[in-house]
Amino acid sequence: MSEPVLKVRDLSVVLERNGRDFPVLDGVTFDIAPGEVLGLVGESGAGKSMTGIAIIDLLVPPLRRTSGTIALSGERLDQLSAKRMRRVRGKRIGFVFQDPMTSLNPVLSIGRQLTDTMRRHLPLTRGEARERAIAWLTRVGLANPPRVFAAAPHELSGGQRQRIVIALALCAEPDLLIADEPTTALDVSVQAHMLTLLRELHEETGTAMMLITHDLGVIAKMADRVAVFYAGRVIETAPTGRLIGAPLHPYTAGLMQATPAPDADGAMRVRAIPGAMPGIGALPPGCAFHPRCERAQAICREERPPLADAGGHDAACYFPLVEEVVS
Amino acid sequence: MIAHTTERILQTVLVLLAISFIAFLLVATLGDPLTSLLPPDASIADRQDLIMRLGLDEPLLTRFLHFLNGMLHGDFGISYRTQDDIGPMIATRLPATIELAFASLLVTLFVGVPLGILCGVRPNGIISRGVMLVSIAGITLPNFVVGVLLIAIFSVHLGWFPSFGRGDTVQIGGWTTGLLTLSGWRAIILPAITLAAFQVTFVIRMLRTQLLEVGQSEHIRFARARGLSERRIWSTYAMRNALLPTITMLALQLGNVIAFSVVTEGVFAWPGIGSLFLQSIQAADVPVIAIYLIFVGAIFMIINLVVELIYPLVDPRLKRSGA
Ligand SMILES: Nc1ncnc2c1ncn2[C@@H]1O[C@H](COP(=O)(O)OP(=O)(O)OP(=O)(O)O)[C@@H](O)[C@H]1O
Ligand SMILES: [Mg+2]
Repeated sequence: MSEPVLKVRDLSVVLERNGRDFPVLDGVTFDIAPGEVLGLVGESGAGKSMTGIAIIDLLVPPLRRTSGTIALSGERLDQLSAKRMRRVRGKRIGFVFQDPMTSLNPVLSIGRQLTDTMRRHLPLTRGEARERAIAWLTRVGLANPPRVFAAAPHELSGGQRQRIVIALALCAEPDLLIADEPTTALDVSVQAHMLTLLRELHEETGTAMMLITHDLGVIAKMADRVAVFYAGRVIETAPTGRLIGAPLHPYTAGLMQATPAPDADGAMRVRAIPGAMPGIGALPPGCAFHPRCERAQAICREERPPLADAGGHDAACYFPLVEEVVS
Repeated sequence: MIAHTTERILQTVLVLLAISFIAFLLVATLGDPLTSLLPPDASIADRQDLIMRLGLDEPLLTRFLHFLNGMLHGDFGISYRTQDDIGPMIATRLPATIELAFASLLVTLFVGVPLGILCGVRPNGIISRGVMLVSIAGITLPNFVVGVLLIAIFSVHLGWFPSFGRGDTVQIGGWTTGLLTLSGWRAIILPAITLAAFQVTFVIRMLRTQLLEVGQSEHIRFARARGLSERRIWSTYAMRNALLPTITMLALQLGNVIAFSVVTEGVFAWPGIGSLFLQSIQAADVPVIAIYLIFVGAIFMIINLVVELIYPLVDPRLKRSGA
C-alpha cells in the first residue's frame, strides 16, 4: 500500500479560556491516500474547520495544538520550523476558505494576488506568472480571463470569486487541497457548478482532497471516503458508499435522517436528532453523543468508546447499528 | 471618472467663492477703513480720494467683484495696521510656514508611520506598549503645552535649541529659507516636533487600529494559507487596506493641524502667516484676517480635493464606480 498523502494521528487542539484548557479536537485520526477525496462531515462546531487549520498550522491563540502527529507524504509537518511551514502552505497544501466574498484582498487585483502566490513558490518571471495566471483563470472556467486578471474582487460575483479562490489554492500545484465548505456561501445553482469544477480539477491534477462540509449530499457526490465528526472527535469513518448504505454510528444514521430527502409519497421528510451537540467545555463523560442517543446504555455514560479499527469501516460506538441488523 | 473630477473641482471653486464672500463681508462691515488708514487730521479731499481709491462708494456686489478680480491679479488689499499691501506681506511670511509644515510632515512620516506599523504588527511587544502609553500624552496634551514643555526642557534647561525665531535665513529668489543654515535647522526642530505631536500620535493610533483589524480579516488568513511571507503580507496585503482610512482620517484632521500651526507659531514666535494672523487679530486688522481665512480655506479645500482624487489609485473599489 502506498504512503498516504496525509496522515493525521491523535490530533488534539485546546481552547484556552481563563487559564484553563478546553478540548476542541480530541484524538483526531485519519489518512488521505494519494488522489483520494476524504469528506469531513458533521454539525456546525464539530471541529471540522479546526482540523483543517491545525493541519496547516495556522491556529491562533486562544487555540493551540497539544498533541498529535501530522505527516505529509511521510514528512512530519508538526516538527517543521515556522519558516519551512510557510513553504508547505500554498506550495504543498492548498486551502480554500468558506466565504469567497471575504477571502480575496479587496484592494489588490486578481492578477496581483495570483502572481504573488505563484512567484512565491515557483521560479517564474513576471511574464510567465502572468501567462500561468491567465491559464488558471481559464481553467477554473472564467470567461474573459485577461479582464478578470485586471479586475478587483468587488467587480466579480460570488461564484466567480470562489473560482478564483480555487485557482489561488491550486496555482502552485499542491499535493493536497483542503476545501472548507467551498460551496456553503454560494447560491444553489452555483454550488453544483463549483462541485463539478472541483471534481474536474481533482481528476485532472490528481490532487488529493480533504473536503469539509455539513452536507451529506455533497459527500455522496464528491468523496471516496468519509470521516464523521462529533464534538471534536471522529466517530465514524468509512468508504462513502458503505457509510451511506449502512452507517454504524447512531449519530451518522441520525445525520442522514436529518438530511431532507423525499419519502415513498414524494413528500420531503426531515427527522432532526433531538437535543444539541455539547459545546466546548460542556462535554459529558463517556460517549459525547449519549445524551441524544436512543441506544445509550450505562457504559456509554461512563466510558468513551474508542474508534474501533474494523478494516475500513470504523465506528466509535459500543452498540453500533449493524449488530441490530445481524441479530 | 472625468465627470466626477470636474464636478468635484467645480464644487471646490464654489465653496471657495462662498468663503471669499464671507471674508469680504467681514472687511466690508467690520471696522472703518477711513479711520484706520487716514491720519486724524486728514482733509475732506483726502477722505474723498481714499473712498474713490477703495471703491467704497460702489454697491456691495460690485465691490465684491472688484475684490475677487483683485485677488486673481495678486491684489489682496491693504493692511489697516501697517498700510502695506497684504499680498507681499503674506508672501514674505509664507516660506517660514511652509517649511515648518513640511518639517512636521517629515516628522509625522518618519516617526508616526513606522511606529504605527510596529504597534499594529506587534501589538503586544514592549516597544508597542511603551509607544501607546506615551501617545496618550500626545493626544491629550494641548499643543501649546507640548511647545512650552519642549522649550522648558530643551531650550531653557539643556540649551540645545533656541526657543524662538527661525535662526539665520538665506534668500533664494523670492524665498527665504532657514534650511540652509545650521541655526535655521536648530530653530525648526522644536516647533516641528510640537506641530507634529498631534499628527504623529494620530497616525500611530490610526495605523495600529487599522492594521489590527485587517490582520484579523479572512483575506489575510487566506494569504497566510497560501504561504506568502509575513513581510509581503504586512507591507502590501495589510498596509494597502490600512492606508486608506488612515489618509482619510488624517485629511479630516487638517483643520486641527492648521489651528495648531497658529498656536505653534505663536509659542515659538515663528515668523510665518500663523503669527501674522495672531498679530492681525490683536490689531483688529480685518483685511489681513479675511485674506488669511480665504487662504486657509483654499489650502484646506485643495488638500481635501487632492486626497479624494488619489483615492482610486489606492483603492480599486472606487475606480470604476464613478460615483
Ligand atoms: N477563536 C475561537 N474562540 C473560541 N472558540 C472557537 C474559536 N474558534 C473556534 N472555536 C470553537 O471551536 C469549535 C470547533 O469549530 P470549527 O470551526 O472547527 O467547527 P466546524 O465543524 O467547522 O463548524 P462549521 O460547520 O460551523 O464551520 C466550535 O465550537 C467553535 O465555537
Ligand atoms: Mg467550519
